[in-house]
Amino acid sequence: MKTKLKIEKIKYQGASWLIMLPGIALFTFFLWFPLLQSIRMSMYRTVNIQLVEFIWFDNYITVFQRTEFLQALVNTLSYTVWSLLIGFLIPIFLALVIGETVRARGVIRTAAYIPNILPGLAAIILWTAVFSAGESGVLNIILGYFGIDQRSYLTERNLVIPLIVSVATWRGAGATALIYMAGLASINPQMYEAATIDGAGIWKRLRYITVPGIFNLGSTLLILQIIAIFQIMFEPMMLTAGGPDNASLSLMLLMWQYAFGGGTMEFGRASAVAVIIASILLVFTALYSMVNKRKVDWDN
Amino acid sequence: MAKIKKERTGVIRNFDMKSPGAKVALVIIYILCVVIVVVSLFPIFWVIMAGFKELREFMVSTAIFPQRFDFSVYSRTWSQLNIFRNYTNSFYVIMGSLFCSLIFNGLLAYGIAILKPYGYKVISKMVMFTLLVPATISLVPLFINVTSLGLGGSFVPLWLAAGANAFFVVLFRQFFESLPFSLVEASRIDGCSPAQTFFKVVMPLSKPIFIVVSIFTVNAAWSDFLLPFLILRGSELETVMVRLFVFSTEQTVNVDDLMRAVVFSMIPPVLLFFIFQKWLTENIVTVGIKG
Amino acid sequence: MKKSMKIIAFIVAMVMMFTVFAACVPADADFGGGDTTPSPSPTDRTPDSNLGDIDLSVVDPDLTATVTLGNWPPDTAPRAELALFEGFRDIMAAQFPNVTLVPNFYSYTLGTYVPMALGGTAPNLFQPHFTDPQLLIGQHLVADVTDALEDFGLIDMFMPGYLQLFGDGNGRLFGLPRDGYVLGMHLNLNLFEEAGLVDDDGLPLFPKTLQEVAEKGQIIREQTGKAALVFPASATFGGWLFTNIAWNFGAVGEDAITRRDADGRWYVDFTTIPMIAAMEYMHALRWEYDILHVDATTTDWASTHSLLATGEVAMNFAANDAVDNPTAIGGLAVDKFSLIPFPAGPGGAYALNGGTGFMFSPDTSRDQATAILHFLKIAGFLPFINDNIVAAMRAGASASRERGAPVLPPIPAWTDETFIRTQREITEEYSNVDMRLYNDFFDSLVDGSVILRGEEPVHTQRLYRELTNAIQRVITVEDTDIVEVLMRAEREFQSFLDEEVNN
Repeated sequence: MKTKLKIEKIKYQGASWLIMLPGIALFTFFLWFPLLQSIRMSMYRTVNIQLVEFIWFDNYITVFQRTEFLQALVNTLSYTVWSLLIGFLIPIFLALVIGETVRARGVIRTAAYIPNILPGLAAIILWTAVFSAGESGVLNIILGYFGIDQRSYLTERNLVIPLIVSVATWRGAGATALIYMAGLASINPQMYEAATIDGAGIWKRLRYITVPGIFNLGSTLLILQIIAIFQIMFEPMMLTAGGPDNASLSLMLLMWQYAFGGGTMEFGRASAVAVIIASILLVFTALYSMVNKRKVDWDN
Repeated sequence: MAKIKKERTGVIRNFDMKSPGAKVALVIIYILCVVIVVVSLFPIFWVIMAGFKELREFMVSTAIFPQRFDFSVYSRTWSQLNIFRNYTNSFYVIMGSLFCSLIFNGLLAYGIAILKPYGYKVISKMVMFTLLVPATISLVPLFINVTSLGLGGSFVPLWLAAGANAFFVVLFRQFFESLPFSLVEASRIDGCSPAQTFFKVVMPLSKPIFIVVSIFTVNAAWSDFLLPFLILRGSELETVMVRLFVFSTEQTVNVDDLMRAVVFSMIPPVLLFFIFQKWLTENIVTVGIKG
Repeated sequence: MKKSMKIIAFIVAMVMMFTVFAACVPADADFGGGDTTPSPSPTDRTPDSNLGDIDLSVVDPDLTATVTLGNWPPDTAPRAELALFEGFRDIMAAQFPNVTLVPNFYSYTLGTYVPMALGGTAPNLFQPHFTDPQLLIGQHLVADVTDALEDFGLIDMFMPGYLQLFGDGNGRLFGLPRDGYVLGMHLNLNLFEEAGLVDDDGLPLFPKTLQEVAEKGQIIREQTGKAALVFPASATFGGWLFTNIAWNFGAVGEDAITRRDADGRWYVDFTTIPMIAAMEYMHALRWEYDILHVDATTTDWASTHSLLATGEVAMNFAANDAVDNPTAIGGLAVDKFSLIPFPAGPGGAYALNGGTGFMFSPDTSRDQATAILHFLKIAGFLPFINDNIVAAMRAGASASRERGAPVLPPIPAWTDETFIRTQREITEEYSNVDMRLYNDFFDSLVDGSVILRGEEPVHTQRLYRELTNAIQRVITVEDTDIVEVLMRAEREFQSFLDEEVNN
């Protein structure tokens, strides 16, 4: 009897692992193993795709000595700051504004969300035409109606990063706003009534009920946003190719360029940049879990 | 009886409506909403209009609207760039990805959430860790591995890659954990193997999450171009997005054709969105908060 | 000059220029090459080209090989092109019954080729740009095909420069040229006419020097309100064109951009007087003459042609292989288009010469290489003439004419006189242009007024990227310290070379 149970148990264990096996195999091939390879490759001198010589951290040192890397690092931080100014506040603003509407709410919400469902690449290519310089550029046409002079937006080094962040925000804000709207909807309506009875006006209610009501959600989304913007690559790749003079080069784009751009195949250094990005992101994640005052829930 | 007014759910409540300040605020809010709608939709509207323009008009014209609405311009680009073939390729990628994504992510989540064999926690932790590290980072070795295996220029790696998505595993797991365990237990006592239980009990009970993951998978499979570009580039299997990426980076088409290709690439996701609109807006909220 | 004399002079000129600059390896900016219209180009051919006179009897029953051909057209290609290759395959099957051809469309990029070559999955035949052969030979990623080339008697017909490009320096060869291009300048004559820059015959008073580009450009801008010159200062394109400008300011010889010392170490010098002058020239184009099209830092190669075709700009630095882009593709009439030599500078008159070649995967055997060469011969890529090849050339010229592209003489990849003469005769027969708009360009290749020069030899794409960045800085910031910008670019590229090739 006991042995039969044991056999049952072993069978169960075996069957369970067998069920998970395909998934595990795929994760291993597509994610885990390449990640380890990346780390390994970052410590090798590479000739095309071959690992030639173990060189410890030389690739990292080389990368750090390059001005383009430092520029990309600074740019990426700049992207982050701009995305806090533009990308973080706009969804909250959207949620607040849309939340006040009654009529046509569904339409407005859908409209704000639509940029998010477009394929990212298509949306970005579309914006290249919007920013296009000269008289046939869309932004120039529109601002021309308001008497604003033509500019070539993507060639101005001080403008490119905020513009790229705007494009990213255009794409993502609607979706983030939906989350905030859900957060706003979950605020107990009786609090508003109670506050009104206490004589609180609209602004005071906004200040003391609404904002605190979505504060936690906001801090979570803030960290997620930082993590997302730190990986920005397609937008600068398609809009400016990192230019002018690397003014919009991001770390992720630099990694792509080392590996696949310009025919240089610096796979070792590309991997080093990849590992650096991953490390920074892990730091952010640690911050995230600290902000949430709980550890990342591993087991549950 | 007067019309029943809809309850205001924002900061401004129904009882504020008497005050003139609130009324002004509402006017401003609606004006802002118009701005939001215009900013969100105008670029899309514009690109559709721009698609009617021939190269010269596109380069020179300062008008938003085209001189004439001639659909033959669109159909010419469609046939000249052979976009139908790319649509078909994208369709194949989507179908295979859908299968792999649902089955392999689902089974892995089933193991982690319900079967829980010895040591499952290790796998669970590793899956969670994957969520923290962007997949783009290991693109280089992955690309090398795939190509060295001779799988370049084939759909297979893209299909299988859809079966390793940590985000989907987490979504499945959360849902499976909320299932009544008694049903799973009952099926086991009835003599079903774990695999049978998954297909006969768990799957039918989990329709909502399967639909959500399906929508996400389809959208991702349609929009993704990085790995597909590296794998399918130069073969006959290029998807719509790979084609679009190639057009815009490798200097093979004029910009007016490029804009029309952009429009073609937008049509399926927009259709999909309107079909599943309710599902999407509701579920992305919950997913967004949990994820 | 008599026609045959001209051809001989041409060959001599080509041979000369490669001998003079033998150390330089011609190469090609890696822009996918999708728009190049090489000649003889299989795209141009029609399936009904006359195969009647082809000898379909068995040539070699013993040659046994299976080869994968990466130059096969994709099945999205025009039906005519596919049919053409099917025809080649039928001839192959008749003449070499034991050779199996496996069509395997492959659009070469360095990034995809290397893993395929190492993994043994690369097609036997593929088509790299001139930037890559030396890299591939150096890393043993291509097969030695010297013996097979020798059997065909091809080695004697190689331009000396191509022997360098496809050789390892020890007399072994790893590939052969497919077609080449020479940089010059494309003009939109509508704008030249509007600006009054035409002579009594209505021919354009085109710029002969870089200084004239600036001055005439200024006239065009003032008279027409359009930008005079488009300069694609994005990705690697900016550096690609800039090296040619720098040569014409004198960045050659003693002042060459890239140099190799006696120990084989590579050095770059971006801060020579010619280089600084060339960069100052770029600065002046933007800030003094103000003739550049505004979006320079995001303009790519394809948009330059669109801008020229639609009359947004009057001049574009571009090559003879891209004449289809503004005309047939962009819609500019061939009589409003002109191709002129690359403008000379104070330091000389050079023009960049690049192209595409054929190379072979490392596991290709001698029999396989022989079979592939037979195939290339049948397909008209080798300098042999037969009725079929002549028919194909005619079809190509006729197709160019029909789609509104100028029918121009090709720049030959081989020194075979008969082959070149046949090509020229067919071109003249189908000519649809006023050759006075093109003669300066083609004469300059023959009369020595322009010296052809291959691209900078090491990690060219990376060099271009570094220079493009510098140009972007110079044309977007007016008070830039040009020397400092060049020094920084030099530092970056030199340290890259030290890591990659100097140890």
